Amino acid sequence: MGRKAKFNDGVLVKKGPGKKAKKQKDPIFPKSLNVSDDADKKLSSRQKKRFKRREEKKAELLEKRKQNQKTKKEGKSDYKKGKGPLAPPNQYFSESESGDDDEIDEDETDAESMHEEASGSVEEINVKGFSDDNQAWLRPKSRKGFRPPSSDEEQGGEEKSDEDMEEEQDSEDHDFTVEKLNDLSDNEDDEFDTDTADEEEDDTNTEDADDDLLPIEKQNIKLKKKQARIQKESDAEMQSIISEQATFQFPSKDSEEVVSLQDVQQRIREVIFVLSDFNKHRDSNHSRSDYIELIRNDLCTYYSYNEFLMEKFMQLFPLSELLEFLEASEVQRPLTIRTNTLKTRRRDLAQALINRGVNLDPIGKWSKVGLVVYSAVVPMGATPEYLAGHYIIQGASSFLPVMALAPQENEKVLDMSAAPGGKASHIAAIMKNTGVLFANDLNKDRIKAVVGNFHRLGVMNSVITCMDGRKFPSLMKVFFDRVLLDAPCTGTGVVAKDQSVKTSKDEIDIQRCYNLQRQLLLAAIDSVHAKSSTGGYIVYSTCSVLPEENEWVIDFALKKRNVKLVDTGLGFGTAGFTKYRHLRFHPTMNLTRRFYPHEHNLDGFFVAKLKKFSNVIPTSDDSEVVEDFNFNEDILNEEEEVNEKQNKKSKQNQQGNDKKGKNSNKEKSHKNQVGSKEKGKKGKNLNGNETNKTDDIEKPTTSKNKKNKSKKTDITTNKVNWDEVPKKVGVKLNKKVKKDSKKKTFGELKQKKEKFNVNRTDRKFKKNRN
Amino acid sequence: MRRLSEERTKVLFEKLAKYIGPNIKQLIERPDGVYCFREQKDRVYYVSENLLKLAATVPTENIVSLGTCFGKFTKSGKFKLNITALNYLGAYAQCKIWLKPSAEQQFLYGNNISKAGLGRISENCEKYQGVVVYSMSDLPLGFGVAARSTAECKMADPISPVCFHQADIGEYIRCEEDLL
Amino acid sequence: MDVVVSEILQKSESEALKYKSIEVKKHLELEYDLGTLLAVDNNDFESKFLRPDKREDYFLNLARDNTQLLINQLWELPTERVEEAVMVKLPPAKTLLPRMKPVPKPKSLTKWQQFAKDKGIQKKKKAKLSWDQQLQKWIPLYGFKRAQAEKEKNWVLEVPQNADPNEDQFAKKVTARSENVAKNELQRLRNIAKSKNVKVPRVGVTNPDNASSKELQTAVTVAKASTASLGKFQDKLPKEKEARGVADITPGASRKRKLPPVAGHIEKKENLEILDSILNKRPKMNIEQAVAKQIQSTKMDLSDNNHHERSKGGGSKSKNKMGKKPKGGKGQRSGGKNSAGRKRR
Repeated sequence: MGRKAKFNDGVLVKKGPGKKAKKQKDPIFPKSLNVSDDADKKLSSRQKKRFKRREEKKAELLEKRKQNQKTKKEGKSDYKKGKGPLAPPNQYFSESESGDDDEIDEDETDAESMHEEASGSVEEINVKGFSDDNQAWLRPKSRKGFRPPSSDEEQGGEEKSDEDMEEEQDSEDHDFTVEKLNDLSDNEDDEFDTDTADEEEDDTNTEDADDDLLPIEKQNIKLKKKQARIQKESDAEMQSIISEQATFQFPSKDSEEVVSLQDVQQRIREVIFVLSDFNKHRDSNHSRSDYIELIRNDLCTYYSYNEFLMEKFMQLFPLSELLEFLEASEVQRPLTIRTNTLKTRRRDLAQALINRGVNLDPIGKWSKVGLVVYSAVVPMGATPEYLAGHYIIQGASSFLPVMALAPQENEKVLDMSAAPGGKASHIAAIMKNTGVLFANDLNKDRIKAVVGNFHRLGVMNSVITCMDGRKFPSLMKVFFDRVLLDAPCTGTGVVAKDQSVKTSKDEIDIQRCYNLQRQLLLAAIDSVHAKSSTGGYIVYSTCSVLPEENEWVIDFALKKRNVKLVDTGLGFGTAGFTKYRHLRFHPTMNLTRRFYPHEHNLDGFFVAKLKKFSNVIPTSDDSEVVEDFNFNEDILNEEEEVNEKQNKKSKQNQQGNDKKGKNSNKEKSHKNQVGSKEKGKKGKNLNGNETNKTDDIEKPTTSKNKKNKSKKTDITTNKVNWDEVPKKVGVKLNKKVKKDSKKKTFGELKQKKEKFNVNRTDRKFKKNRN
Repeated sequence: MRRLSEERTKVLFEKLAKYIGPNIKQLIERPDGVYCFREQKDRVYYVSENLLKLAATVPTENIVSLGTCFGKFTKSGKFKLNITALNYLGAYAQCKIWLKPSAEQQFLYGNNISKAGLGRISENCEKYQGVVVYSMSDLPLGFGVAARSTAECKMADPISPVCFHQADIGEYIRCEEDLL
Repeated sequence: MDVVVSEILQKSESEALKYKSIEVKKHLELEYDLGTLLAVDNNDFESKFLRPDKREDYFLNLARDNTQLLINQLWELPTERVEEAVMVKLPPAKTLLPRMKPVPKPKSLTKWQQFAKDKGIQKKKKAKLSWDQQLQKWIPLYGFKRAQAEKEKNWVLEVPQNADPNEDQFAKKVTARSENVAKNELQRLRNIAKSKNVKVPRVGVTNPDNASSKELQTAVTVAKASTASLGKFQDKLPKEKEARGVADITPGASRKRKLPPVAGHIEKKENLEILDSILNKRPKMNIEQAVAKQIQSTKMDLSDNNHHERSKGGGSKSKNKMGKKPKGGKGQRSGGKNSAGRKRR
């Protein structure tokens, strides 16, 4: 009873889209009604792509032609005086008109274009466009539509006709011309071929005519002709080479051209050629850096890397090698397997696999357990032998760190990032299931692969753990005889395996990687027992080729811990860098080994073997305070990021305070982000730790920013002594100062410090070298 | 990692005895050190005492596996042998079955073995006894339960099963995710 | 006047012609149940009218006639006049109409009712008020006034002979009363349960005579947890199993109890003991197995005999047939089988 409560007082609030909308989906029209747009859309996706490409090519072609014409005009203006504009030399025109004329035109234009290339004797050879017999009825084409029969063989007329044709082709027949243009070199060959054919025809003709000559005379004529021909060919070749060199034009910046891959490749070659002897081939308007930028962009487009990574590679390799490396990175390494010596011998395994129809070979002299699989009828990952654990599929490069580690029987060995267990099981196999093997990996999903592989391969002496490798020293300090650290890395050495590396990596990623690697390496060193009777070794390896993740990390460890580099024991591989750009590493860095896909047919790899000679963790007196990574590793990474941003910001301020007004908004947002990240960690921030970190991080960023500056200044800026900075500033830095004025002071201070520290850092470097 | 309780040890040994019989003694009394059974999350690991001591420093929740996993206890308290135990079962097996090459693939996909696929069978194999399955080249492929005794096998028709599948090495790739 | 009368007569006549007569002739009398206004016509249909074209009219007429007869019957009943309306009181219906729902079953008797019925005990009606001599007033049978009266009356209680003098007689009385109430409630519930055929657990401690093995297991597990001391538990009986699902009532006794660490060799010894007990189990009589063994052994014997016979017959011949290399007396082939087995060289 009673009235119903009206809580919302008659105001109906609509909830959701209403019943009808819920019930009904969008109507589906019958197909017959769906015709409206189809008239345009009949092209399939591939067709569309092709159409697009065609359009692009067309545009590009026009561009190129214009340029070529321009250059021609400039270069050979005296030659062309009084005549119509020449068609570009390398272009090759063919059937533009239907009907009988096709062949004739082709012949004619072939001959012509070729002759123009060999521009020295244009007029003389020009007549040879037709063989003598044909001269009676063959006429060069002079008009586009209708060709009046005339024996006039004036150059100008022909050229005109060429041009006409060109236009026509532009309008009608893009495809064909474009293709021809794309592979210029091939084209030239073709032309030569036709040319020689013509000559041969000539020969036969003359023979027919001069029947009554003596054989020796005939021979003489023949010989002379041959010589002439050879001479001509070589001239032509020479000319073409010269013209090729000459034709490389620095593309104008304004033209936003979209180029085909072949063109890009061509241009890469050309630029490399130019750079090989820069003074000789350079275009005086452009500096070397312009060229380098051009080639970098081209390489990026051709191999689809991002610019950052390509720049890294360009810094790493000389240009010629770079191409090889990039090419090799495109191709997968051959499939290799490792015999599980716990269960079988290589000979037996090879026999069994051959019986299953697998074509294989020993991997090389350097490994007694590896086999290369060339082809297999059965899937290599599912043969009964595989399942029974007689072998494991493993990249050849993965053998190297284990071989370098050279574990002994009855040792305690740690593999810090073991997944998927290939290397770790290799260690176990070498130890013959004695001793103890700790296989650790952080990733829970990947650790399952380790479990599976170990049980399959019959590894029984293992403890498989799933934890952060950096925690090991806190659990088992000074415990292991040997530690293998196959550190997580950017994977720039194994681009073939994972193409996503090409585009996904940037500065931050690399930085993150090497920071983690450093911490892991220190953790690895700390968990090794230096006074172990048999061991005390640490092997550090990555599948990256970047020195930031390799030599630099090792160098860092050499400074921080009582370790020294020892020979890896691998018979091959190139030595590690002792210097790289502005960085100077420890001179023994040449004991480390690098492996490249193009050189060794292995994945890009780095192996370093360290020997720990004292368990004491050195604490140096000056700026380089030893940080204990075990304390707050968790926050380090993020802190680093934050700090880096701070540094950048401070630098900005330093460079131009005027910009502040413009950037203020940006910076604020930046700060907010940073602040949120930093939340909850304020208490933990140790001042020394923090500052030290910034010191380490600064190097790459500055090196990037101030590429053009001299080395010395670079170093000095890097080695700002943060201990000298008043703590107040440091603290505020940590707490994310919000006022610009504070930052300003910070920047100023830093400038001062730079000046102050020049001498110090120099000294330090000397010390390190010694 | 904890010791197996008495009844669990019993259950485990009873299961193992089906496959390797008195050879369990060889597992317990090994010349190369003291080995023992430990359980974690109902999984049973066969591990040397040495390894166990060293692993004790690692928090148990971080240990994924240790030594060799033999199998697991089900919720109803039974013991289920894993394929990972094959290393030991294969070495000490009492009753063996050898498969013809044509039947290997079938078995590796988790199917029972029919008489047609039977290459050889060891003598005096009893019905419902645990058997280890080998390929003709003596590769241990897995294990199962004899559906017939040796004598019965000789009489059986080609399609009738002689061994019920329990685990095979195909599981290493079929179910790598939940191997343990 | 005549004219008028005749007119009227004519009129009525013509009207009478319009209506049918109220007299209906039937071969058999209808059966009536006036209480429900029901008339049953037992006469047969006339078959000549049953053709499709005439059927309609015939049925209509028949229905009208029978209705007329029913109405005629009604008019024979005594009529009354109530407010200008003629009213007939219908006699009670004779026909029984079927009911939609089944007839409810009689309620099962409570235990007391059953007892009283058996013994022939009649319920005596009690008066609602009774005269109390002591208080000199009427006291109701129940209710708050009764309670007040009780209080008034029993302000002092006699301690019975041989009773504990320190016992609180008042409290005793109160508890007795509450017990009684509880008992009554229980009995009520029990009666309901009985009537609905529901099983009711026994009250109080389970009777060990009727306990299931599971209950016993639970009891043992719980008891073990309660008697444990410092992690030491009572020894187990040979076939004792731990009960499941008792973790919430026995916090100490979890099934995953961690055993105290022991030295390796002790553990080994224990394991060996367990193993021995398993391996040395007296095997059950497995008839199938025994039969199989028997069959096998007899077969072996048979084949052995055959082999011997054959070898007696002519060894060299058979060997040549097999196409084997002569071994020059070096390798003796053992066993009865010729085909399988490894060559030993």
